[in-house]
Amino acid sequence: METIKKYLAEIASDENQVKDFLEKNETEIRSFFAELWRKHSPAAAAQPVAEAAADNQQAQTGTQRFNAGVQPDNEKAKNDSLAFQIKNKQIAFQNGKVGQAYCVDFDIETLGIPDIAEVTFEGLEAIGLQHLPEEKCIKGNPTQAGDHKIEMKFKRKDWEEGKPLLVREVVFIINPDPRVLWSKNIPTPEDIEYYKPDSGKLFVKVASKKTKGVFGLGKKELARKDMVAASQRGRSHAIEGKPRDDDFLLYFDEEAEWYVMVVADGAGSAQFSRKGSQIACQTVIEVCQEKIAAKKGDFSKLKATEQKNEIGKILQEIISNAVFSAHKTIETEAKEKGRPIKDYATTLLVSLCKKFDYGWFVGAWWVGDGGIGIYRKEPEYLKVLGEPDGGEFAGQTRFLTMPDIIQKELYTRIRFDVVEDFTALILMTDGVTDPKFETDANLNRIEKWHALWDDLNGSNEDSVSVAFSDDSEQVAEQLLRWLDFWSKGNHDDRTIAILF
Amino acid sequence: MRRLPVYLLLDTSGSMRGEPIEAVKVGLDAMVASLRQDPFALESVHISIITFDKDVKQIMPLTELESMQIPDIQTPESGPTHLGMALELLCQKVDAEVQLSTPERKGDWMPLLFIMTDGKPSDVQLYNQMIPEVKKRHFGSIIACAAGVKADTKPLELLTSQVYSLDTTDSTTFKQFFKWVSASVSVGNRSIGAADEIVLPPPPPEVHNII
Repeated sequence: METIKKYLAEIASDENQVKDFLEKNETEIRSFFAELWRKHSPAAAAQPVAEAAADNQQAQTGTQRFNAGVQPDNEKAKNDSLAFQIKNKQIAFQNGKVGQAYCVDFDIETLGIPDIAEVTFEGLEAIGLQHLPEEKCIKGNPTQAGDHKIEMKFKRKDWEEGKPLLVREVVFIINPDPRVLWSKNIPTPEDIEYYKPDSGKLFVKVASKKTKGVFGLGKKELARKDMVAASQRGRSHAIEGKPRDDDFLLYFDEEAEWYVMVVADGAGSAQFSRKGSQIACQTVIEVCQEKIAAKKGDFSKLKATEQKNEIGKILQEIISNAVFSAHKTIETEAKEKGRPIKDYATTLLVSLCKKFDYGWFVGAWWVGDGGIGIYRKEPEYLKVLGEPDGGEFAGQTRFLTMPDIIQKELYTRIRFDVVEDFTALILMTDGVTDPKFETDANLNRIEKWHALWDDLNGSNEDSVSVAFSDDSEQVAEQLLRWLDFWSKGNHDDRTIAILF
Repeated sequence: MRRLPVYLLLDTSGSMRGEPIEAVKVGLDAMVASLRQDPFALESVHISIITFDKDVKQIMPLTELESMQIPDIQTPESGPTHLGMALELLCQKVDAEVQLSTPERKGDWMPLLFIMTDGKPSDVQLYNQMIPEVKKRHFGSIIACAAGVKADTKPLELLTSQVYSLDTTDSTTFKQFFKWVSASVSVGNRSIGAADEIVLPPPPPEVHNII
């Protein structure tokens, strides 16, 4: 004993380190000495030894336990050595998820401990799992989320009634079902500054128009396109009772027959972005309304194909004025409240369009993420009216509230297109483009737009469809319901505006 | 699906042996368990653990929370604290693991970095060389924590303005620390964007703000 003490003193001067060493290697040391004892003292193996029993009691700490009682020493040595092997075996089970079928292979043979014949798992049933030794697997449908401590009880090959089981603890990690975690929906308190409802929808019905005909003959009903938009607070806001930051607005000028659509996404990290997006939408519509009224004489004069450039110039003036005013109005609001303008950071997507005899003239302006596109299903046509602004990392984008956007990029961001006809002109915030397009490159792929259009028309897992027929009043409610689609990891506010 | 990469650099030098490292393990388990209850985190957080003592190891590559199992953490009996080497490995791993946006791929959120040490870097020269390299990696936030009385906050202050200290390295303190890390990760998850820096939740009484 003295030799061992001396040796230990040599390897570590610190008392704690010796203790640590002994604790860490307890099983190994014990089984080593037990083995020695068995080899060199056969007499002791034949009859119970009081000291060994006492040791046995002490060994019942940690993850390995032996049934109390007096055992022959070789028995104990065997158990100790097995317990050591079991303890040091890497045994891990892949994580499960509540409500999702779980199935992992588990074969006792693969543990590579030949002296073990059987294992049972205690506590598996309680979490919805079963060990099936014949099928060599553990399977089931996990019911309880959490880190579950399960006891594996091993039987030695020569196990018989009354002999101890070797026990080891393993952890089964069961993840909660994110759909359940996301299902919390706390209404936004109505007394907050700049309150806005958690969802919004709007349908602008543009009634069919009678054509003039010639001398009262050949009059017919001419169907005209309608506009619809919906905006839904994201689940990420809903679980915290935080307001929707997105906004939108639609306007149809009855006299000049211009369609105006605006959507805006208030930055998630800007405190009052919900107001920024609201001001942006409202200001753009107000300025467009005013300017279109002022220019209505010009529009009726400039009908010919060769006068497209003139229309483009007017449109450029309207758009730049509207966007500039939106920026300025936000700036004024921020100043009045004594806050930096970036507290109101918002993206902005604007479209203006009108049908001429030669086709549809479409103008657009876009800053930030999301997307604007003119889509035609048959014959295929796609024109994306701008590029999403992104950075190296997710969530990095540009905003209407940034000085450079207004000082340097007001005009360069304007886009025009003239098309014979289209299925839909669509404006979306990134709450829709992220799940539906995934990447910036996909925004220019017509297959993705086909998929989106089919999705809107009911090809989705919830079978929610939007009836895009002429003058269909229920379309706004349907679109809002469609916006509630499930997409893993995509729980931002969602806004979409469609001219169809 | 956008990922939020979270890098944890943990001191495993000799002085962490015994109770402190056991406390860290318990704290880590609690942190991960708590993050799993947050649907944001469950769907986006990816964690990597790098330990540093005389050796530097990435004991867990960037792994999604859903399939994560914290590996065992070993501590040598004694030896230096190679935090500089740890930062070097960190930069390599960030370059290899963190995805930037391309037209064909959605980039990750800006990564977060948490450093916990109970001493000071032994490889000072390398440590100082690595500071600008770490800064180039655009972490959304770098939170450094000096644990226990022997920890030196000065070198950490060169790396980040967010330096915190823990009075002791016992289990209660580490539990509170990792709980706070978990809350910070949750917040980081939803506030990255237009803001310059994430606003951390207030630290518990056991965690002191240095600057």
